[in-house]
Amino acid sequence: MQTLKHILIIAHNTFRESIRDKILYNIVFLAIALTLFSIVLGEWSVFDRSYVIKSTTLSVMSLSGLLISIFVGISLVQKEIQRRTVLTLLSKPISRVTFIVGKYFGLLAVIAVHLAILTCIFYTMLLAFHAEPTANLLLAIYLIFCEMAVVIAVALLFSSFSSTVLSALFTLGVYFAGHLSNQLLEQVRFASRMGEMGDTSTALFEKMAVVIHAVFPGLYRYNVTSYVVHNVALPDMYLFWNTVYALGYVGVFLAIASWWFSRRDFL
Amino acid sequence: MSDFMIQIEHLHKTYRSGFLMKPKLALKDVSFSVEPGQVYGFIGPNGAGKSTTIKVLTGLLNFDSGKVLVNGISPRDAKSRRFIGYSPEQPYFYDYLTGRELLRFYGKLVGLDGTELESRIGWALELLHANKDWIDRRLRSYSKGMMQRVGIAQAILGKPKLLILDEPMSGLDPMGRRDVREAIQQLNRDGVTIFYSSHLLSDVESISHKVAMIVDGKIVREGTVDEITESCGVEYHVRTRKAILGEDLPQGVSLTGHPEEFVCEDDAARDRLLAYCLSNGIAVEKMDHKRPSLEDILTEEIARADA
Repeated sequence: MQTLKHILIIAHNTFRESIRDKILYNIVFLAIALTLFSIVLGEWSVFDRSYVIKSTTLSVMSLSGLLISIFVGISLVQKEIQRRTVLTLLSKPISRVTFIVGKYFGLLAVIAVHLAILTCIFYTMLLAFHAEPTANLLLAIYLIFCEMAVVIAVALLFSSFSSTVLSALFTLGVYFAGHLSNQLLEQVRFASRMGEMGDTSTALFEKMAVVIHAVFPGLYRYNVTSYVVHNVALPDMYLFWNTVYALGYVGVFLAIASWWFSRRDFL
Repeated sequence: MSDFMIQIEHLHKTYRSGFLMKPKLALKDVSFSVEPGQVYGFIGPNGAGKSTTIKVLTGLLNFDSGKVLVNGISPRDAKSRRFIGYSPEQPYFYDYLTGRELLRFYGKLVGLDGTELESRIGWALELLHANKDWIDRRLRSYSKGMMQRVGIAQAILGKPKLLILDEPMSGLDPMGRRDVREAIQQLNRDGVTIFYSSHLLSDVESISHKVAMIVDGKIVREGTVDEITESCGVEYHVRTRKAILGEDLPQGVSLTGHPEEFVCEDDAARDRLLAYCLSNGIAVEKMDHKRPSLEDILTEEIARADA
């Protein structure tokens, strides 16, 4: 109970710190500008305006969430260490696991508020332009939130042991690997079936693709834009299993981050 | 409850730095203990290992080997910090908060809430003479002295049994130093054990029950101020009414540069000089005994370590 209270106090402070960060405002305003720009894109595009607004805005939500995780999330832990505020905080009766989990939930709350703001603008735009503001768009937004939950955990994991720049690069790497791993595996298998590679290289590339697919979180699962903009139903239990999948990865990443952070010396 | 508030035995700590992780031994076989109710001063030159020891006690640093207990609990266990209040050297805080908001934040982390939290904040600020307008300003506008006071205030909010202060008087003006010194003494009277490091040896001498001196990662002296200074011997300064020639001076007695003033290196030399004066009808005008100060002893220990 006490631990839960401590997590909430640290999360609240993290949230308070983040919303005073100028970088956050830059990202949020950029995201809002791009969301509004999707109206213009819809006018220019050969595609249906509704389709363009929906797909553009959902992509903006995902990318802006990624930017917040990287630019705000990573600096949160690093700033605590560099400014030495961590010394006073960790001298209180809180464990380092509590610290990491509190930071995580604070940033997750920032992402939730960010997505909520964009969702309000999104639906207002759809209503204003009679562009079918269907409820299943919320499913896509929920899955973006799940994706960001994993990305924040990745960012915290790297920032628990490496510098800001390296953490940002590693997190970006995991994000892209997570989005492309399925495609990579399919391409390698396709090339193998078509006999475009030698036997040795086929086996090697396939093994590499399998390892990448298995190790990195499959973030491609959380991109259901093409389903929802065309009003195609998601498979049964899709949300449930992908929520469990995200929770699993978040748990593992936070456990490793906490373990690593617990071993650190603070000078 | 443990017999000791702090118990450190054979503590070793190595830092590793650089690409090759070159080891540097920061603490070498450090052992000492602090009893409940003591004000314990921890002195030494820069880089001697004071802050390292303090950070081991607060769980901020891991250690290689040895035994470290805080109120009977290992500092690796977060429970040990329930009894501790800690203010780091040159405390840094979230500069987007006001002093009062910061104290509320830390107060909640030590389990305070509502009116109890507000009254504890008021009490801590009162004790440190910090209950002023600036406490409601953002921390980024604070001077070093204000920051130091807020640092100590956050440390004492949770009624700690043990207060650990790393250089609590650094950056303070004479008034601030007096306030902090008085606060330490008041807290100690209220039953709080104080463990603190300081460069200001005159303050350490005046308020500490016991002192440990650390040089180059090793404890070189430990005890009460009297025990430490007496162990280094006492000098006697004697002034007579009549000059004594250098060749007539008893063994262990030397001139200070004035023909009627002498320094006796120990009790025996003093007795020899007094006997000489008595037998030669020389009146003794004044005699003082002088112990070396902590500063003298520390300087001597640093020179010895450097040699």
